[in-house]
Amino acid sequence: MRFALRRFGFFAVTLWAALTLNFLLPRLMPGNPALAMMSKFHGELSPQSLNALEILFGVNTHTSLASQYVSYLHQMVTGNFGTSLDFYPASVASVIGSAIWWTLGLVGVTTILAFLLGTGLGIVAAWRRGGRLDSLLPPVFVIASAVPYFLVAMVLVLIFGISLHWLPYLGGYNVTSDTPGFSLTFIGDVLSHAILPALSLLITTIGTWILTMRNTMITTLAEDYVRMARAKGLPGRRIMLDYAARNAILPNLTGFAMSLGFVVSGAILIEYVFNYPGVGYMLLQAVQGEDYPLMQALFLLITVAVLVAILVADIATALLDPRTRTAG
Amino acid sequence: MRRLTRFGVIIAAGLLAAACSSSSPSNTGAAAGKNSVLTISNENGALWTCGFNPFNGSDTLVSVGFVYEPLVYVNPLQNGATTPMLATSWTWGPGNKSLTFDIRQGVKFTDGTPLTAADVAYTFDLLKKYPALDLTGVWSVLSSVTQTGQYQVTLNFSTPAVPWFYYIADQTPIVPEHIWSKIANPVSYPDAHPVGSGPYEVNPCTPANITYTANPHYWQPGEPHIQTLKYPAFTSNNTANDELATGQAQWGAQYIPGIQAFYTSKSPDFHYWFPPVLNVALVPNLTNPLLSNVLIRQAMAYAINRPQVSNIGESGYEPAANQAGIVTPTYSGWLDTSQLASDGGYGYDPAKAKQLLAQAGYHLGSDGIMVNAKGQKLEFSVINIGDYSDWVADMQVISQDLKAVGIQVTPQNLTNTDYDADLFPGNFQLAYVEQQTIGPGPYYELNDWLNSADTAPIGKTAATNYERYNNAATDALLNQYAATTSTATQHSIVDQLEQVMLTQVPLIPVTEGVDWYQYDTASFTGWPTPSDPYAQPPVWAYPDNEQVLLHLRPR
Amino acid sequence: MSIPLSLGQPAGEPRRLPSSHALARMGRAVRSNRKATVGAVLLLFFILVALFPGVIAHDNPSLDAYQPHLGPSTAHLLGTTAYGQDMFAQLVWGTRNVMIIAFTVGLATTGIAVLVGVAAAYLGGLWDSSLGVLTDVLLVIPLFPLLIIIAAYAHGGGTLLLIVVITVTSWSYTARQLRSQALTLRSRDFLQAARVRGERRLYVIVMEVIPTMTSLIVASFLTNALYAILFASSLQFIGLGDPNTVSWGTMLYWAQNNAALQTGQPLWAIAPGACIAVLGAAFALLNYAFDEIGNPALRPVRRRARRPELRTVPGSGRA
Repeated sequence: MRFALRRFGFFAVTLWAALTLNFLLPRLMPGNPALAMMSKFHGELSPQSLNALEILFGVNTHTSLASQYVSYLHQMVTGNFGTSLDFYPASVASVIGSAIWWTLGLVGVTTILAFLLGTGLGIVAAWRRGGRLDSLLPPVFVIASAVPYFLVAMVLVLIFGISLHWLPYLGGYNVTSDTPGFSLTFIGDVLSHAILPALSLLITTIGTWILTMRNTMITTLAEDYVRMARAKGLPGRRIMLDYAARNAILPNLTGFAMSLGFVVSGAILIEYVFNYPGVGYMLLQAVQGEDYPLMQALFLLITVAVLVAILVADIATALLDPRTRTAG
Repeated sequence: MRRLTRFGVIIAAGLLAAACSSSSPSNTGAAAGKNSVLTISNENGALWTCGFNPFNGSDTLVSVGFVYEPLVYVNPLQNGATTPMLATSWTWGPGNKSLTFDIRQGVKFTDGTPLTAADVAYTFDLLKKYPALDLTGVWSVLSSVTQTGQYQVTLNFSTPAVPWFYYIADQTPIVPEHIWSKIANPVSYPDAHPVGSGPYEVNPCTPANITYTANPHYWQPGEPHIQTLKYPAFTSNNTANDELATGQAQWGAQYIPGIQAFYTSKSPDFHYWFPPVLNVALVPNLTNPLLSNVLIRQAMAYAINRPQVSNIGESGYEPAANQAGIVTPTYSGWLDTSQLASDGGYGYDPAKAKQLLAQAGYHLGSDGIMVNAKGQKLEFSVINIGDYSDWVADMQVISQDLKAVGIQVTPQNLTNTDYDADLFPGNFQLAYVEQQTIGPGPYYELNDWLNSADTAPIGKTAATNYERYNNAATDALLNQYAATTSTATQHSIVDQLEQVMLTQVPLIPVTEGVDWYQYDTASFTGWPTPSDPYAQPPVWAYPDNEQVLLHLRPR
Repeated sequence: MSIPLSLGQPAGEPRRLPSSHALARMGRAVRSNRKATVGAVLLLFFILVALFPGVIAHDNPSLDAYQPHLGPSTAHLLGTTAYGQDMFAQLVWGTRNVMIIAFTVGLATTGIAVLVGVAAAYLGGLWDSSLGVLTDVLLVIPLFPLLIIIAAYAHGGGTLLLIVVITVTSWSYTARQLRSQALTLRSRDFLQAARVRGERRLYVIVMEVIPTMTSLIVASFLTNALYAILFASSLQFIGLGDPNTVSWGTMLYWAQNNAALQTGQPLWAIAPGACIAVLGAAFALLNYAFDEIGNPALRPVRRRARRPELRTVPGSGRA
């Protein structure tokens, strides 16, 4: 229980830090970047929208920094992220709502696949220590970790999209011939558009899973109880899965949490190359369109998502591994 | 291990199913006859708000020309050739101080109500009452509008403004009085179910796509020939371009890099045409002490290799401009070629540029930059829109050309808003600028550049005359043009304006900005082409888009 | 009884710094480990190209001097861009920008991390907890979106801005690692000895603790340099860098803007991307090799012809 409280506490502190960072950044930049943008929209926004945006960016306010901060936090808590300037007059919240499902689908499914495939391969590689897989894997995936995410995406686009014409490589679905709905054609369209982006994300993120799993497996395999199990004559697969892998997976979970930041970066760049209509692509569009309210909200959303994932991973680790609970 | 393989099989099956059911590019225009669908490709960068208020700057491009129409269609590409639309004829009153329109009879709005002169008069009065709706600012020259008969309207001018015929007759959509008079706040009225007299109705609009269906009450019999239009909302240029390249969209208004390889090579039916309409110019701040010297500006005009900028920066899509400021071939009839040639032609001539700089008292310093006796160097910053990658590339070539004669310019690639924030108040040394307004003749652009009424002191916002050019003689010429309907006088004045451009060099046109336009002849005919420029071709150009829609026929 | 000032050192001999031991050890390890050698050779190659680009590429990378859209030929090894620039020259000259970013960010980030991490470990108490919270929080906030936001507010910037922004956001992971290691070292014997000797705290930190962590510090430098390259080129790719600088990331930006893949100019995008991958791989290989040097359990098992019953036990470190 104390452990959970401590983790929640950490979550709250980090959330507060992210909110404060979001608050301070536009105010710290030389020449408030929002100022020019705001004056462009001055005549078109309602007084409430204008006020909300002014609080978000600290423009035209004659109140102290502290009271701005309080109003800002109140706005954040009530979910008032302002009006989007690119998608005017839609509110930021509604705009994000349309994009978030695409990213959740892409990142969620790919992460699960990467986890399953990655840990599986890592287990096999560690078990067959010195085998072909094991000696091949580390250098291959060390190099793979250095490959920029967009390069993988571009190569896939070039091969499967442009040269072979096997798969579509732009957007989430075909905008001209399909309308969103639960029809079979639409779902098929969505799936076919998702294959290449998912594959790119899978290729770039699977390496960490394999390597971390392999490394922790190797350390675990050196443990006494494994040696004991071997001495007892238990079948190899049983030792591999029930004794070693189960214990080796735990550090993997924390590793997953740590690497989530990179999964997010990968998702943003891959969405950009494929013009996949998720929050990553929307963030980059907001940047290009100087839609600062949308940008801010997306950054907070991504941060909160990562935080929640880490919290969940931490609690899962605690539930599975009593040692962490007592270690505190 | 068995578990993993089983899982893998499931995934593979799922992917296979998805791949098989993926929709192949449907040939949406294939069905001949009345059931054809025309798909438009114009990337707007955002989803549709489904508002169709014809006076809202962000909604005009989806509403005017489709649902609403003007009094007269004026073709900028054919020297202002007119096509009567809601007005059948018009006459200028004595001294050109009034303009009377005869309104067409038998026109009905889409809800069945007849259109009369009352609606026309009401529309103009609406713009007077709510200046935020007056997008072209017609009330800056109008004094009143009266209905002088059931089918006749007269507009009175406060000042001679013959060229404003374009804004009044062509650029003002006519709205129904019986609907708009009941709206409390027309400025914020979304007009989600627009009622107009135009060839199409909105049926329906979703954030991802607008579908237009033909207006059964349209006053031109048999028109429009295309029953359904689809206007998807593209948020990325790539997707919009791809739709054209796969034939899923047939009418494009896209900038496509490498257009031969990307588009025209994919099918013999794919064509493009980029009619030039406006100058893209290097604009000096004439209040700058060094740039106020005309010799420096002339040297710059000779130093820039305009064809190279066009070829490299714009891939040859935008032709080289000329120093007279007349966009060719669109307004070739106005260009005084002998004058242009006699004033040195302003072709690429770095030697002449250096000669002019020497004349101005500059010599090449040890750092490769021209410097004068007082130690002042010719080094300037130039503001540019960083978002337009072709403009960034243009400036790279221009900088290299100017460096070759010893003038150092450093491009500052700014965001749109930062650029505007520097351009309007004159907070720049040099700027790379394209005007926004097109008109049926070179007067419109030249007026924007040269009229002192459109400028402002440094620090205040200038409307269009950013370089702060102020010359009483030029103003007199422009006012003279505004007061006359005689073509001969108009041509003579434009000749004199060209002389101003050539001798005073208030700005340096580099390339000619074009309309992006692609068209697919596989399923539709009647497209505007260089040999038949009956309207400005892009879908966002209103009300020219209406003319295109009325000319198009399915094969 | 007085304790001699320099324990274990013969009198009169100049005192050898432990760090030189560490560096020599590392040098030997690099030579013997195949991965490290490959990585080091690649890195050296890129460093040389960055220092002397004119030797390989004779054309000016930014001049729009040639026919656009040319394919690879003897005159233009990779062809020309849509603007008539020699692609190979851009690639070669762009190396300099990339290496500057990699090394500056790598050094700066590692430097800050050493300061913060070791200070936190050594000062302990409130310092440690507050620095700990700071690093943990920064660790969790996703870096790339934060970089995007900052660069967007700054309206995109040149190399200096990229370096500053990436450094300021990336030091926390390394700081945490260094702090952990410094903590474990705190109680080691040789440090106790130094304390008993009466050495000042700063001396102990600089002369004793840091040299012992050399391999971790070098590994951190390599990691940070790797991520600096990836982040910087990603930011340039999406248009938040200065499009007029010659760099691999800006080549990608221009290639993307000109639909290079769809218009038959794939090299324009693939070539700089591949270079980023290779340089990154060099850093990553060296890094991985250092990992193996530090943790013998991870060293590759070299198979030798042996009788079956004498199979080596994994993890024992015996090859």
